[in-house]
Amino acid sequence: MECSSLHRQLAIIKKNLFDQGFLDEQFYQLEELQDDASPNFVEEVVTLFFRDSSRLLTNIEQALREKHPQDFHRLDVLMYQLKDSASSIGAAKVKNECTVFRELCDKENLEGCLRSFQKVKKEHAILRQKLENYFQLQRQVGPVEKATRSGN
Amino acid sequence: MLEFAHLKTDPSRAASTLGNSGGQPPEFPAGLRVLLVDDDATCLKILAKMLRKCLYDVTTCSQAAVALSILRQKKGWFDLVLSDVYMPDMDGFKLLEHIGLEMDLPVIMMSSDDHKDVVMKGITHGACDYIIKPVRMESLRNIWQHVVRKKRNELKELENSGSLEESDRRKAADEGDNASSASVGNGKSEKRQRGEGKDEDEEDVLDEHEDHSHTKKPRVVWSADLHQKFLTAVNQLGVDKAVPKKILEMMNVHGLTRENVASHLQKYRLYLRRVSTPQNQGFFDAHYTSSHEATYNSVGSNDGFNLHGLSVSSQHPPQSLAPIHSEQRIATSTGMGILAVDQLGFINSRIQVTGASNIISSSLQQMNNKPMSNLRGCSKNIELGQLGQSHQVAQPYGGINLQFGEGTSNFLTLPSSAPTSFSLPGGTISGQLSKSLSMHMTEHSHEEQFSMFQQSTLDITLPGQPQPRGQLLDEVASHNSRLASTLTEPAPPDDIANCIWGRLGTDANMLTSLPAKYMDAPYNRFPRSLYVGGQDGVVNRSAGGSCFDSFISTCNLKGTNNHVSDEHQSRSRNWKLQKVNLPYQSGQEVGLEQSTIDGHSSLMGHQGATNISAGTVTEEILLMKNKIDNERGSSSQHQRTNLVENSIRVNYEVSSDISYQNLHDELMKVVQGQKQDGFGRADADFNIQV
Repeated sequence: MECSSLHRQLAIIKKNLFDQGFLDEQFYQLEELQDDASPNFVEEVVTLFFRDSSRLLTNIEQALREKHPQDFHRLDVLMYQLKDSASSIGAAKVKNECTVFRELCDKENLEGCLRSFQKVKKEHAILRQKLENYFQLQRQVGPVEKATRSGN
Repeated sequence: MLEFAHLKTDPSRAASTLGNSGGQPPEFPAGLRVLLVDDDATCLKILAKMLRKCLYDVTTCSQAAVALSILRQKKGWFDLVLSDVYMPDMDGFKLLEHIGLEMDLPVIMMSSDDHKDVVMKGITHGACDYIIKPVRMESLRNIWQHVVRKKRNELKELENSGSLEESDRRKAADEGDNASSASVGNGKSEKRQRGEGKDEDEEDVLDEHEDHSHTKKPRVVWSADLHQKFLTAVNQLGVDKAVPKKILEMMNVHGLTRENVASHLQKYRLYLRRVSTPQNQGFFDAHYTSSHEATYNSVGSNDGFNLHGLSVSSQHPPQSLAPIHSEQRIATSTGMGILAVDQLGFINSRIQVTGASNIISSSLQQMNNKPMSNLRGCSKNIELGQLGQSHQVAQPYGGINLQFGEGTSNFLTLPSSAPTSFSLPGGTISGQLSKSLSMHMTEHSHEEQFSMFQQSTLDITLPGQPQPRGQLLDEVASHNSRLASTLTEPAPPDDIANCIWGRLGTDANMLTSLPAKYMDAPYNRFPRSLYVGGQDGVVNRSAGGSCFDSFISTCNLKGTNNHVSDEHQSRSRNWKLQKVNLPYQSGQEVGLEQSTIDGHSSLMGHQGATNISAGTVTEEILLMKNKIDNERGSSSQHQRTNLVENSIRVNYEVSSDISYQNLHDELMKVVQGQKQDGFGRADADFNIQV
């Protein structure tokens, strides 16, 4: 049945996201917040996250490209915000990369920061894609299909 | 705790507020008003949703400056602030300081930064808690405990200001066999009080809270006036050269101790230091200089001083209190101290309150000064007396006792061995109140007594109304003023004291036997239970008895309070005091005294909430009287306990609209009624489901 295969697909995708470390426990918290009052809560939050974080990434990128001396403090602050955001939705890999970046920032390792930033960007993009797929599939499956742990 | 009135689990209210279909009333902390500040939109959305899931009332804000202005505009509205640490427009710690200084609300910091030093910074700046992001629902479910804890600490401080020995209290608590009365670390009584459905956390909090009660410092409320005097003195002496002793001399405020000044000076210096840093400069200075009234509270609220007008500082004649308008719900009768809860509002808007409190304090002092001939060797509550005279006035809870001054405290303490010190701030207050009530009751319609009761009741429970705390203070102040007037006009304070003592003599046993613990018990539930009164209106039921009439008349005098209270009550979402009563039930063994006192305390507690109105007092008095009478006549503690419980229950159920006579009848009914009945009713009405 199409429905059940979609369900299964959805479940698998979700499981992978967790197994592969893209998402962590916090994502479950989001799902638990989804209810009748806000049936698309998770998707809304994730969308909001990607919107804001993209802007942040642009700012960071700009800051990194700025002439020296680098304002590491500012970079740190910006990346902190990104990390904050990412952790709140359970974007584990993005969060980890942010942490790495900040550590390098502390050491004022510009080179390292640049490399790290690329990783952050990459994880960010990957997650975005995966979650977009996930939500799309979820919509296909039907609104009743609430992402739950049972998906695992 | 008065502020928690709005958290009362009123089914209809809950339904309307939360959109329930009017089924089960929401659990206890539902409706807690949280201000959420976070610059990150994603976090804000998630946290807001989480908080709403906890049934809290959430206001979101993405900028610290906006948050502050909201807090200032809606003074007294919020119970708790949840703020991110790193925000673009203002450092979270700065916001924390501001809130601590101005509003003294519990603030919980959040951050994904879990470095110990940052967390430490949060705590040292006065945050009640520090939550590491990402935030989980579980963490948010318990934030209400911080609100409760903070309030309790404030109360404790008020109490402690009477220099109640912590050890005494604990001793009292330990001595009492009654689980119900043993508030300190006695979760059992609470359990019993609450019955099933009690939230473990809640209990834990309370227990934990009890363990925390240690501040014995008298709580001085640094009113705007007082602070101004302080500033003048400091400036004259030179900030760097100013020493507490000299400042104290220059301030020339009666009752203010060098320690008070010293700690205030320290805080002031810290403030200046913080202010002098570049970032804070503009913000702080502007804020600080422009609002002297701002509660100059240390961020750590526990040791902060209330801005309540330090009653000691005023010498106004009682009559001057008259203008204070009666509408204010005096959640804290003490007017003096009331502000523990709502300092900001108080400070900013109610100079009169300050005045009132001052007046009251002076009245009290008068009372205190009068020799209490009948005072039995109650050295125990001397602290109370001291409180009366001391700064504590400001404390809502402590205030009550204080107001009575030494005399009152003395009899509150009950000459007998019972360690009257109340271990719990809440408990203490109630204990004191109850005692005073009982005393009054025994006296039969002493107007002064009544007023005293009033005072005490007033202190209890400030309903957590949406209205600014300042209003409450005003009310309290007005109550106090009335009290003061009453106290000073009709009869000299010592008459009251004497009367009480006389009665006390006979009933002293009862009272004295009431272990502080016992009294504390009700307060353990303080946050919730104390404020029940507000909601339920003044319990005007009279227990019957001859004194009732006299009290009624007295009550009538204060009738306005009732109305006000009612008003407040309807608005406030008082936490049900119900729990308070519970101790009685379980504390059968405590003996009548305890129950009596307990009842009183619960009554007081409740009554304290906005309702301090005369009716409440009357009721309490009646109850006490009944109890006393019952005690005398009956050997059954249980009976008394029941009575107490019933009475207590009755209190809550009675609406302020009930005439005194009705109250009287009802009270009689309750007193004579079935325990279950009373209880059942009370339960229905007051149980706070946790």
